Amino acid sequence: MNEMSSMTPEQLNAGGYSTPDGRPIGSPVMEMKNITLKFGGVTALSNISFNILEGEIRAIIGPNGAGKSSMLNVINGFYHPQEGEVWFQGSPRPSMPPYEIAEQGIARTFQNIALFKGMSTLQNVMTGRQLKMKKNMFWQMLRYGPAIQEEVEHRRKAEEVIDFLEIQHIRHAPVGSLPYGLQKRVELARALAMEPDLLLLDEPMAGMNVEEKEDMSRFILDVNEQYGTTIALIEHDMAVVMDIADRVVVLDYGRMLADGTPGEVQADQAVIDAYLGVSS
Amino acid sequence: MAQVTTPPEALDTFPKILDWNAQNRGDVASSREKEFGIWASYTWAEQREEIRALALGLKALGLNPGDKVSIIGSNRPRLYWSMVAIQSCGAVPVPVYQDSVAEEMQYVLEHAGARFVICENQEQVDKVQSVLDRLPAVEQLVYCDPRGLRKYDHSALHSFGDVQNLGREKRSTLEPELEKIIAAGGPDDICVMLYTSGTTGKPKGVVLSNQNITFAGRSSVEFDKLTSEDSVLAYLPMAWVGDFIFSIGQSYIGGYAVSCPEGEDTLASDLREIGPTYYFAPPRVFENLLTSIMIRMEDASPYKKKMFKYFMDHAEKVGSDILDGKPVGAMDKLKYKLGEILIYGPLKDQLGMSQVRLAYTAGEAIGPEIFAFYRSLSINLKQLYGQTEASVFVTSQTDGDIRADTVGPAWPGVELRVDDNGEVWYRSPGVFVEYYKMPEKTAETKDADGWVATGDAGFIEEGTNHLRIIDRAKDVGKMADGSLFAPKYVENKLKFFPNILEAVLIGDGRDYCTAFLNIDLGAVGNWAERNQVAYSSYQELASHPKVYEMMQGHVEEVNQSMVDDPMLEGCQINRFLVLHKQLDADDGELTRTQKVRRAMVNERYKPLIDALYDGSTSVFAETEVTYEDGRKGAISATLEIRDATVAQKRKAAA
Repeated sequence: MNEMSSMTPEQLNAGGYSTPDGRPIGSPVMEMKNITLKFGGVTALSNISFNILEGEIRAIIGPNGAGKSSMLNVINGFYHPQEGEVWFQGSPRPSMPPYEIAEQGIARTFQNIALFKGMSTLQNVMTGRQLKMKKNMFWQMLRYGPAIQEEVEHRRKAEEVIDFLEIQHIRHAPVGSLPYGLQKRVELARALAMEPDLLLLDEPMAGMNVEEKEDMSRFILDVNEQYGTTIALIEHDMAVVMDIADRVVVLDYGRMLADGTPGEVQADQAVIDAYLGVSS
Repeated sequence: MAQVTTPPEALDTFPKILDWNAQNRGDVASSREKEFGIWASYTWAEQREEIRALALGLKALGLNPGDKVSIIGSNRPRLYWSMVAIQSCGAVPVPVYQDSVAEEMQYVLEHAGARFVICENQEQVDKVQSVLDRLPAVEQLVYCDPRGLRKYDHSALHSFGDVQNLGREKRSTLEPELEKIIAAGGPDDICVMLYTSGTTGKPKGVVLSNQNITFAGRSSVEFDKLTSEDSVLAYLPMAWVGDFIFSIGQSYIGGYAVSCPEGEDTLASDLREIGPTYYFAPPRVFENLLTSIMIRMEDASPYKKKMFKYFMDHAEKVGSDILDGKPVGAMDKLKYKLGEILIYGPLKDQLGMSQVRLAYTAGEAIGPEIFAFYRSLSINLKQLYGQTEASVFVTSQTDGDIRADTVGPAWPGVELRVDDNGEVWYRSPGVFVEYYKMPEKTAETKDADGWVATGDAGFIEEGTNHLRIIDRAKDVGKMADGSLFAPKYVENKLKFFPNILEAVLIGDGRDYCTAFLNIDLGAVGNWAERNQVAYSSYQELASHPKVYEMMQGHVEEVNQSMVDDPMLEGCQINRFLVLHKQLDADDGELTRTQKVRRAMVNERYKPLIDALYDGSTSVFAETEVTYEDGRKGAISATLEIRDATVAQKRKAAA
């Protein structure tokens, strides 16, 4: 990690760089260019610029109300910033509805779990495959021939994700009845079932105990390692972020305080002040 | 197509039997595994190919005859294949309990002198690597599940598939030599080394020869008429002798398929899907199943409850007689058939036991009510008495001659005797070779004529020749007044209550007996819910006055039941307390097979024991606990001590 801290953003942007543990980090997948987002008179984000590189785990942190979720919604295309541009895979992204964003390979989870509570884990995960299904509703309703074959293929993908996240034992349980930590995992499973290129996680550790956090951290690292998925996550548990993130953006009151490796960010005076408070 | 044939006796090692199976029942399923939600089957022919490829790969990595190879993980076909692949190389498999902490693992690996270690996944690889600096003998690690291991240094770490591929590459050069090694294997070669968890001291490596295991396999296949039509679910630890016999010994000789569950948490549904015909579980599992049924019935509608009670009462009356083939009235039979449709059938299906034609329990005494419950459902549950040192079988109940209070007559080919101290000895072709690198321990247990001391006190019933086990021989003691102290006997009585998970009786050399109790969180928690007893933690529930009252009721009931047994009435419990934490193998209080380590408990809880005998009504306890990841913490509590009414002795008090 130290090696990386000595590099300029330009060097990083050049791509082809790999972390000391040998994981390649590529060219920017997504670039935020001078983003400003306002709700009426409130400026949620002001002049934010950073990028997300292919294959990295990128964290966005900050105290409550810093604008983290707004930032994620901008990345996600759910909010449209008044100023600035979002570049995706090398070109500016026009505003588009969320399902088109999803089709571009961006998946997300939510801070307040948004699953289909009455459906089983498997059914929820299968909804993640919906976009990849090509047969139309007519065939699907018939459940015959090519539609069944397609469903079998997708079921296998879904099962791989279920195996990966170790939720076999709740495969057929209605998710509404599951404990919170498991619901979070199911939500991650559904996002993974989309086989995204970029995975956005909104507070994946919120409300978890130490053990659940450790499990979730392990899963996030494994996803990144196994599938090479680029991950952007919001989290306010500093310890977790410092452990798993490759690079960190720090926000406070809609401004960007710092951007760098966990080590750099931790040493940044502005960050320390924001987190610990300054005596005036 | 039932295949009643078994491999000829001349085949005396498992690699040889494997070849026979591949040739003679190549298309019969040998193992199954649930992966990605689907049961995948391997036939004997496929299994042989997998094993052969692995054996060649291990050989290519430098595995020599006589080497030891450790296998660490939960029940997976690949790990079972590893066992026979290792044997094919002339090496010795040493399975290790997968939930052992790194230090325990280190001891076994070091003592066995393992050169290779085959791990299931990252968790086990991590554990082995964390102690690798203290294990100079370990050279190569192999893993089955690559998840999370990509970044690891692969200079001495290989994936299972890579080793097999290496083996396939080198097939032409290495196979002739491998064939030679397999052909040279004989009955006296070591088949497996199993470390017993040991209630005292360090684990001992029990060396079992091919002759031991083939004896156990062949005699049991014959005894219970196991065929390739049978089916088992392998879920008990691979390092335990029972699993080795069921999943390798009997499976290879009987030819049946071994199914591996998807995971620990999916066991119940896997059991239902597979519907095994042959099932083995320690009493604890049968107890837990029964407890969970009873808890669910408590929440059922009144109508269902009534129906359940009606038919279960009927089953209790005639069920086991029907199973044993004893005469039963036509009306009762009809009613039982109706019950089978309405209650017993669905219930057995829930338990995953609808296909079970043969079930065994062993390891501990089973509660008579629990035993009767399963038998009344027409599940042919039998008890057997076995040991690692005997390759399992010492005694077993025969069909039609089943009793809850004995473990049956001697197993075919086994001789039994009881010495002057009441300890049970046996001699059989299954008797182990030795404890690895422990000649003095071997000599303590096995005498020159091949008789082995079981360490259990018991007697052989006259007339029936059934063996009855009372207790561990070394645990049987004397009270201060000279009367018999048999803790296990009393503890089992206590544990037969669903609310009591574990009990420890104290009283050796003392004036009266006292006890520690552990509540069963599932049963007591459910009771608390139904009775509006609020609690926030195990500790709080355990110390709740109402729970104490309930426990007192149980203790006094046990006391009452002992009055009629003149030998044991002195063991009645005078005072007791409910422990603030569950006894745990991670804290060294239980063995890995969940048996109480008495000496350890006595030492750890000495202040509590003192308080039980100095008349105080409460005691402060602070106990160190070890979390699963090895971190330590402490929990403390003030525990109440209660006096229990001792039932009136019939003889005049001396």
